[in-house]
Amino acid sequence: MNPIEVNNLHKIFQTKRKAAGLAGSMRSLIKPEYSSTEAVRDLSFQMEAGELLGFIGPNGAGKSTTIKMLTGILHPSSGDAKVLGFTPWKERQKLAYQIGTVFGQRPQLWYHLPAMDTFILFGKIYELDDRETKKRIDYLTEAFEIKDLLDVPVRKLSLGQRMRCEVAASFLHRPKLLLLDEPSIGLDVVAKQNIRDAIKRMNQEEGVGVLLTSHDAGDLEALCKRVIIVNHGQIVYEDKVSNLKRKFLTNKMVEVRYAQEVAKDFSIAGVEILKVGHYGVKLKFDTAKTQVDSVISHLSSAGDIVDITISDPPLEEVIARIYQEANK
Amino acid sequence: MKEFKFLIAIWKTNLQSAMEYRGAFLTQTIGMMVNNFIYFAIWIIFFDRFKDVRGWGINDMYVTFGILASSFGLVSLLFGNAFMLSDIIAKGRLDYYLSLPRPVLLHTVASRTIASGMGDFTYGLISYVASGYFTWDGLARYILAMLLAATVFVSFLIFTQSLAFWLGMMSNFSNLVLNAMLTFGIYPITLFDGYAKLILFTIIPAALMGAIPAEFIRAFTWETLAQLLLGAIGFLALAIITFNIGLRRYESGSAIQTEV
Repeated sequence: MNPIEVNNLHKIFQTKRKAAGLAGSMRSLIKPEYSSTEAVRDLSFQMEAGELLGFIGPNGAGKSTTIKMLTGILHPSSGDAKVLGFTPWKERQKLAYQIGTVFGQRPQLWYHLPAMDTFILFGKIYELDDRETKKRIDYLTEAFEIKDLLDVPVRKLSLGQRMRCEVAASFLHRPKLLLLDEPSIGLDVVAKQNIRDAIKRMNQEEGVGVLLTSHDAGDLEALCKRVIIVNHGQIVYEDKVSNLKRKFLTNKMVEVRYAQEVAKDFSIAGVEILKVGHYGVKLKFDTAKTQVDSVISHLSSAGDIVDITISDPPLEEVIARIYQEANK
Repeated sequence: MKEFKFLIAIWKTNLQSAMEYRGAFLTQTIGMMVNNFIYFAIWIIFFDRFKDVRGWGINDMYVTFGILASSFGLVSLLFGNAFMLSDIIAKGRLDYYLSLPRPVLLHTVASRTIASGMGDFTYGLISYVASGYFTWDGLARYILAMLLAATVFVSFLIFTQSLAFWLGMMSNFSNLVLNAMLTFGIYPITLFDGYAKLILFTIIPAALMGAIPAEFIRAFTWETLAQLLLGAIGFLALAIITFNIGLRRYESGSAIQTEV
């Protein structure tokens, strides 16, 4: 049995519509108008045991709505889903003992208390005995490197530190499956990497399956073996990450800043110049056609580099390419 | 038993959270006691002038105000989120409680302590002791009546605030009903008869928070106990059923939340 089986899941929200201004408000008071928004449309997919599955898409694609239906927070308009054998919206409590959830925009740690107090409370909520809770906290403290953070009130932690504690808390009851909704939102590069490393370790050591929503392609590359890309509530792409990278994430962007003014011609075959200034340049190239080494050595020959950034194209661009491929 | 252990853990965490700001906790507690005294002073002046309102004297007012304040305080201390439930529903903040393996309603309402409740709770007890009706078996009845009145009160709050599942933000309406409960709860019950009395037992069940518990504390009767028990069970059932039916309509939300 797959831990997640989703069949034709559909979710429609009724949204109140109102014209701008006071007159619109008055009209809406007397005769409210509603329209239907299809947040998720006939979604079907499976997830295997211990799999790291990325569920990505731009804002409003239906990622969070899907996760909320899979945790039993929302009832679907139609369709069916089984998570660890349970129908989430009918057997929410039973399912909650077996899964962990992290909503990047919804903290679960008590804001005014040290994270340790929430860990202890979670031990009671999940009915762990005190010794087991303590042992588990010790293990997670080491795995997530949060020893020095546990006694500090959560309000005094940085966002990255707080998120590490949040994700650690979701592992307290040894869940079989972890559902992460935008865990890296708003984090800097180092904080993102710390969280990705810890999740990967938990997946390897405890075999926890991870379903991760994100609109950060970095999360996908670093963590996931397989990816589902959704847009407007529908699956637009489903494949292994290695295939996605081979097909679509071949472009890299390089931005360089020099110590002094440079007047070099940056033209290289197969490289697109996105922006050029007196002290820097931004390029884009296809790694399948042009070697990274040759681009970097060409750039370093122009002057003393004080800063360099190599990044992937935005996910929206990848999705746009996936659409183009689909339309061909 | 399982849920009781869970409640104790939540209340302990609430208390820890409230105690993080000791100064605020103490000033809110003391401030609320002073506030209650100032509010009650008008009744002292009133009964000093008129002595008796259809058989209802200042001592009866002390007991009535005492039970009203204590049960209000108890709900504030133990089920503080009951006052904010419509806001939690309308802003999609039930997600947190729905993702944990506990009864959603119980977990939600028990997850906040309003510190000023300690002031109400303590003032209520002092008011009863000062009423002249104090006896040890009266105190036992006071505790039972307080629990039942608090059940009626929290249930009524949950019921009105759960209407947010259908009608959206209900905090203003709920505040209106809350104020009506507190205002009519302190009025001498002897002032009302007929339909007015019926309203105070049903639509705005203020009588079950003030006058009836006060009667039960002064002297035990099976009739007042039955009224309190029926009221508590009836309103609790109404609250749970309304919330659970409404929960199916819950639409969550995408607002960024910064604290629990």
